[in-house]
Amino acid sequence: MSSVRTGLPVPLRPTAKRWTRHPALARALGWGVFVVVAITILFPTFDVSLQDCLIRATPFVFCGLAVAVPARAGLVNIGGEGQFAFAMVVVTAAVLLVGDTLGAAVLIPLLVVAGLFGGMLWSGIAALLRVTVKLNEALCTLLLNFVAPLVLAYFVFGPWRDRSSFNLPVSKVFPDAARLPTYGVTQLHLGIVFAIAAAIAVWVVLDLTRWGFRARVVGGNPEAARRAGLPVNRIAFAALVAGGALAGLGGMVEVTGVEGVLRPNIGVGFGYIGFLASWLVGHRPLDLLGSSFLLGSISVAGDSLQINAGLPSTSVYVLMAVVLLLVLSIRGVATRGTS
Amino acid sequence: MLVEDVLAGTVRSGTSVLFAAEGELISERAGVINLGTEGCMLTGALAAFAVTNATHSALLGVVAAVGAGALLASVHAFVVITCRANQLASGLAVSFLGLGLTSWLGAHYVSRSIHPLNRADIPALSDIPFVGPVLFQHDVLTYVGLALGPLIWLFLYRTRTGLILRATGENGAVAFAYGHSPTLVRYLAVMVGGALAAVGGAQLVLAYTLNWVENVTVGRGFVAVALVIFAGWEPLKATLGAFVFGGALALQLQLQARGVSISPFLLNMAPYVLTLAILVVASRGRAQRPPEEIRAVFGTTGA
Repeated sequence: MSSVRTGLPVPLRPTAKRWTRHPALARALGWGVFVVVAITILFPTFDVSLQDCLIRATPFVFCGLAVAVPARAGLVNIGGEGQFAFAMVVVTAAVLLVGDTLGAAVLIPLLVVAGLFGGMLWSGIAALLRVTVKLNEALCTLLLNFVAPLVLAYFVFGPWRDRSSFNLPVSKVFPDAARLPTYGVTQLHLGIVFAIAAAIAVWVVLDLTRWGFRARVVGGNPEAARRAGLPVNRIAFAALVAGGALAGLGGMVEVTGVEGVLRPNIGVGFGYIGFLASWLVGHRPLDLLGSSFLLGSISVAGDSLQINAGLPSTSVYVLMAVVLLLVLSIRGVATRGTS
Repeated sequence: MLVEDVLAGTVRSGTSVLFAAEGELISERAGVINLGTEGCMLTGALAAFAVTNATHSALLGVVAAVGAGALLASVHAFVVITCRANQLASGLAVSFLGLGLTSWLGAHYVSRSIHPLNRADIPALSDIPFVGPVLFQHDVLTYVGLALGPLIWLFLYRTRTGLILRATGENGAVAFAYGHSPTLVRYLAVMVGGALAAVGGAQLVLAYTLNWVENVTVGRGFVAVALVIFAGWEPLKATLGAFVFGGALALQLQLQARGVSISPFLLNMAPYVLTLAILVVASRGRAQRPPEEIRAVFGTTGA
């Protein structure tokens, strides 16, 4: 049985359930219970503050969205790490160029654009190679992850090094106009709102618009999509570039909201944790908010472990890898019969 | 002499990637992509370093690496073969498992020293000018590495087991119909691949860096996966690819050692950018067909 309007099998049509019965609502309830449990029981036990967790989870949301959007079109973006780092370079370039002359009202939107642009540029390399010479995007984005931090290091160790900072490899401290506003006396910055808004926007685009539907068709069966007359290459390109832009926005938020200065090793591993966050929830943008919060909490708890028990920072990867492998295995076994 | 130094360095620094790439090739020929190669290299490197540090025997170190690499690879094998999870995601997770475990367990070994894998010059041959230093003044693992490409070629194309392996990678159902278990073949291939990657990691610490640092491989395992595509799944071309990567590393080190005034960060990019560049060149050339079973994962038919 196939749909009259699209000519595609019925299960591919966007599900037209009443929103009150939407499974997302049930999942949101689940995440809500988790958050309440985390705040009331887990955080006091592990000596973790909610503020730290929210701030840490924010870049994970962006890096997760960077995976979720291309995933809808069947593409694997492992490059959040590089897109994040390269966007920070572009944002810092913008700050150094015009940061002292503009007010926050103009500068912050400009930096948002710079972040989006930086991420797009870096993922654009992979997207271009994907649609022109059919180079696998997973490998390409992965290899570029080793290049972007070197670009960053080149600038902070070289031309941008601030001589007044005891010769540490850091850029000039950003002017106040280039910092995201924070809420009251807390360190909670506007980027957290950006992250939630971005997740909602991605959900709307992927689940409610025609483009999102087409991307899903391309991801489900590219050959069928081609025969249905969809511009497969253009959709794949757009999905990967949009993913990069989201990771780039994450880089902008991190460097202007948290750090206020460009230094090496900002956000190392965030791209990979975002990858994990997105896979944990099957690339559903709204659930990503929950999984990012979960991983953010683990990450903050890992920091205190690192300080108290002397564990290296990367050992938190062990926990995350085990969680991902378990989820992948269970989901793989569960969907075995259907695929 | 720059050319001689660079070429000798090429062989020395390319060997670790060579082992990893040949291991990945075996795995992919059986139909499983293993991005966990990076993790297998790291576990192999740490296992080799720790055991050599404790026993003063590099041989035991390499044996330990083989075991550790195969063990970690079997995790990937279980997740993707038995549970049928996404190969790219599982591989990346396994790499991170390897990275996390080795930085955690390896923290004690960071400033320790080892008795390295000795240079074993081949009599007579090593005295030949130019060729000697480039090819015949290395450690034992490098010689094994040089022979590895041809050996795997012989295995894949001239033995019955190799044929079964390739058949499994092309179409598991057909291999099954001929009475072979695709599951068993794939498990073995992934574990052998992981073990080879681990030997690459062992060579890296025992004969190249001579010390252990966190994330000592810096992406060599991922580069190896890329090189397999560049090589069009051919073992001899994979050897070539590994030495191209090694060459970029060696050239970069020689330029830095000679005080060329290029930023070291730009030079450090060279191996990765070069790997991408040769991938592009390779994919523009004659159409290279991946083993049928991994085609869906790589999705090169998609766009």
